[in-house]
Amino acid sequence: MQQEYHLEQELTLLDPDRTRLRRDEFTDLILEYRGERQPVTAHRAFPLTATGQFIVLKGVDGTEIGAIRDIASLDDESRNILESDLERTYFAPVILQVNRLEENFHIPKWDVETDSGHRVFEVRSRRRDIRIMQGGRILLRDADGNRYEIPDYRELDPVSRALVETLI
Amino acid sequence: MDNPSHLVSETPIREEIPEDILAATHNVLEPDEEILLSVSTDLRFDGVYGPAWLVATGRQLIGISPTENGLPEILSIRLAEITRVEVLELFGSGVLKIRTSQNGASLAFFTKTLLPKFSKVPLQIERLVRHCKPVPADTRIARSSVDGFGARKRRCERCQQVIPHWMGVCPMCLDSRKLFFRLLGYAKPYWQIGVVSLILLLTATFIGLTPPLMMRSLIDDVLVADTSGSTTGVSLIPAEPRSSVPRSQTPGPAPPTGLDKRTMLAVLVLLLLLVNISRNGLSAVRTYLLAQLGQRITFDLRKQVYRHLHYLSLSFYNERETGRIMSNITQDVNRLQDFISDGLQEIIRDIATIIIICIILFSLNPALAAFVLVPTPLLILVTRYFGRRLHDLYHGLWRRWADIHALLADTIPGVRVVKAFAQEKREVNKFENRSLGLLSGEIRVARVRSTFTPIMTFLTSLGTVIIWWMGGNKVLNGGLSIGEFVAFTGYMWQFYGPVESLCRLNHRFQRAATSAERIFEVLDTQSDVADRPGANSLPRISGSVEFSGVTFSYEPGTPILNDLNFRVEPGEMIGLAGHSGAGKSTLINLICRFYDIQKGSILVDGRDITEVSLKSLREQIGVVLQDPFLFNGSAAENIAYGKPDATLDEIVAAAKAANAHDFILDFPEGYDTPMGERGLRVSGGERQRLSIARAILRNPRILILDEATASVDTETEAQIQDAIARLITGRTTFAIAHRLSTLKNANRLLILDKGELAEMGTHDDLIKRDGIYARLCRMQSEMSQLRAW
Repeated sequence: MQQEYHLEQELTLLDPDRTRLRRDEFTDLILEYRGERQPVTAHRAFPLTATGQFIVLKGVDGTEIGAIRDIASLDDESRNILESDLERTYFAPVILQVNRLEENFHIPKWDVETDSGHRVFEVRSRRRDIRIMQGGRILLRDADGNRYEIPDYRELDPVSRALVETLI
Repeated sequence: MDNPSHLVSETPIREEIPEDILAATHNVLEPDEEILLSVSTDLRFDGVYGPAWLVATGRQLIGISPTENGLPEILSIRLAEITRVEVLELFGSGVLKIRTSQNGASLAFFTKTLLPKFSKVPLQIERLVRHCKPVPADTRIARSSVDGFGARKRRCERCQQVIPHWMGVCPMCLDSRKLFFRLLGYAKPYWQIGVVSLILLLTATFIGLTPPLMMRSLIDDVLVADTSGSTTGVSLIPAEPRSSVPRSQTPGPAPPTGLDKRTMLAVLVLLLLLVNISRNGLSAVRTYLLAQLGQRITFDLRKQVYRHLHYLSLSFYNERETGRIMSNITQDVNRLQDFISDGLQEIIRDIATIIIICIILFSLNPALAAFVLVPTPLLILVTRYFGRRLHDLYHGLWRRWADIHALLADTIPGVRVVKAFAQEKREVNKFENRSLGLLSGEIRVARVRSTFTPIMTFLTSLGTVIIWWMGGNKVLNGGLSIGEFVAFTGYMWQFYGPVESLCRLNHRFQRAATSAERIFEVLDTQSDVADRPGANSLPRISGSVEFSGVTFSYEPGTPILNDLNFRVEPGEMIGLAGHSGAGKSTLINLICRFYDIQKGSILVDGRDITEVSLKSLREQIGVVLQDPFLFNGSAAENIAYGKPDATLDEIVAAAKAANAHDFILDFPEGYDTPMGERGLRVSGGERQRLSIARAILRNPRILILDEATASVDTETEAQIQDAIARLITGRTTFAIAHRLSTLKNANRLLILDKGELAEMGTHDDLIKRDGIYARLCRMQSEMSQLRAW
């Protein structure tokens, strides 16, 4: 019988102790790894369910350099730089309060307060653009492709909650 | 004698032969010959409908067909000469053909109605032939192009009634009452709710019927008490029937004073208010309770049906359309809920209303009550007539709508062809014609409806007319008080509604019973593949698979696999090849134990797979299909479908191994991208790699690849092959492929031909042997050369 195959050998994980992330003068993300310096882009493999795990770093040509298993294992400076970079990439304000929900031609117009300020947006399709996850989490995408998140709609104030419930 | 396995014993058909046929057989039978098989047909040799017979003894097979001139035609063949027996389904009939080594004969003709019966005959004749002469066990005499399979659902198995296509169950055998009681069984856990709501229902109905009686009191005792000379407040008790003795003759107490009347009026008004409040209050509570009851029963039923569906074997699904199964869960269950929470209470309420009104009317004035009921039978007849007529009309209308839908579904997607052949005008005309048909249907419905309502109103008013005449006369004669007269009229109006709706009861019952039957049919189906009692779980296997004498057929009489014997070592890759229909997919289904075999055994690591639990067996088998199915859920969830507790590391590693990681990361939402019916559309090759990741993650010991690369382009195929190469390392693998080049990694090849193991060996062996595989290889390489040019 041939030697048993181990799945883990497929992973290309970066050693967190030897991984440094910096920002250069163009505010590009720079990876310092094993003495090498190169500009990279960071991608979350699980942008919705595990934001801090499996951060895949790709080189300028788009090939994968490796993945950071857990963002918490990095040193503070690298972590801060990486997190702020990711947050800009995966910009999705958290909806704190729903002021009004109006429907015109079956297109709901949301008037909300987010952690990034007041915002009005329209959602085109209930089926495609509103994703309801476990634990009351709701992900929204507006008609222009911007993203918003409600961590748990059951925790919203009663008015907002009632408004949200009419649409899910 | 050693009987091959497909001759599982089945009692021979022995039908009672009539005298004249029996007499005719005496000419050809020797005195000691006993009739072992006798089958009646319904077509004679000359093509005229009528009974003819197929009879077999231990020595010969005889076809007897009566003729016009009395003497039956007889054909006889000695069993020992028979080399083949077959039943053929022709365009409009069926025939039983016998062949000997020199010639052949058709011994029985029959209409297609008898096909299911005759499809069993060849095997029975084969058995008789085997008793007559030695036949090698692997030579088959019986051939049948008919499986009797399609016919099975067309007629009821019990009563032979033709089953309506839309119904799916036999309307003759539908025992509504039995179904109804079985359905009530589901209400048992909630009997308290049922009893309470029943009591509420009856009370509310009763209370709701009191206002006309109060009206009587109001008129007789309060408003016109002076003239009719009525009595005291005693008559307030509504249920107390009044004597029909004229009041003017009753020596009563002095007429009540004005003050008394005002109090009584106040009491009556309060009572009316109370009645209306309590009636509506009660019905609110009742509606809620019954709705709850209905919903709970539906919930239980739906849960049970769904759970049961998942534990049924695949053969259940093969026999049915997916749409029908899904409508079992949704439509049928909903219909039952509608019946339980709405229909049932309406029926009870209507019956109670009618009974109570009858009692009140008869106790008020029996003679008048009898007259009032005169129009009722007429009403019932008219309602039933129109009900049936409207039902037929609506049905026709519905069919015309379906025609229009069909036309649209046909032409709109095919609009390019229509334009290319410049047939717009014809299509427009076609649509107009059908639309016209719909218009005339609608107009006909409108005509019937417009007569129905006035007739009903007229009939109902007849009751009032009778009351006015008969009751009015009685009042004039002093035989009836004015209050009673008014009460009568009031009840009249409440009486006909329930009668009308009870007329439609039958239809309602029938619909609910049909749904119940369909649901119970599913619930009563037992899975034919199930764990044996005390089945052990299979420990982690090394992966050897052994077939010994495996024979299998989906339908008795048409074997798919015949006496397969082979052994596969752990870690070996076996390529399965052969013509389509040779039994490759069936063989794989058997390894997964989707079906149980009829004879022989399948051993995994030396243990019979029927002796271990299904779960433990299938847990060690991974399957990659030609057109893999993705469920609604994210990419990560789809990869982890067979191992829901997989860690993120495992998921990512599996995706990498399957060459799926890169394209998954290119989706904006990465591994959280929704897939499946409601999610992102992924290409066939991507779906294939996701399903390989799914199989890798499960880490199965036995791997099955069913045409895994059939539907992808060459470049994607290379990536998938690369992933598969990683997947098969160290596992026993069965791979089916039409493109033989994909089997180049196989250790051995197994070539199936018509359900039998034709060749087995390495590629080089088989090429040297110059058999089926060698021929297939040559054909494919010629084809690919053609393509290369």
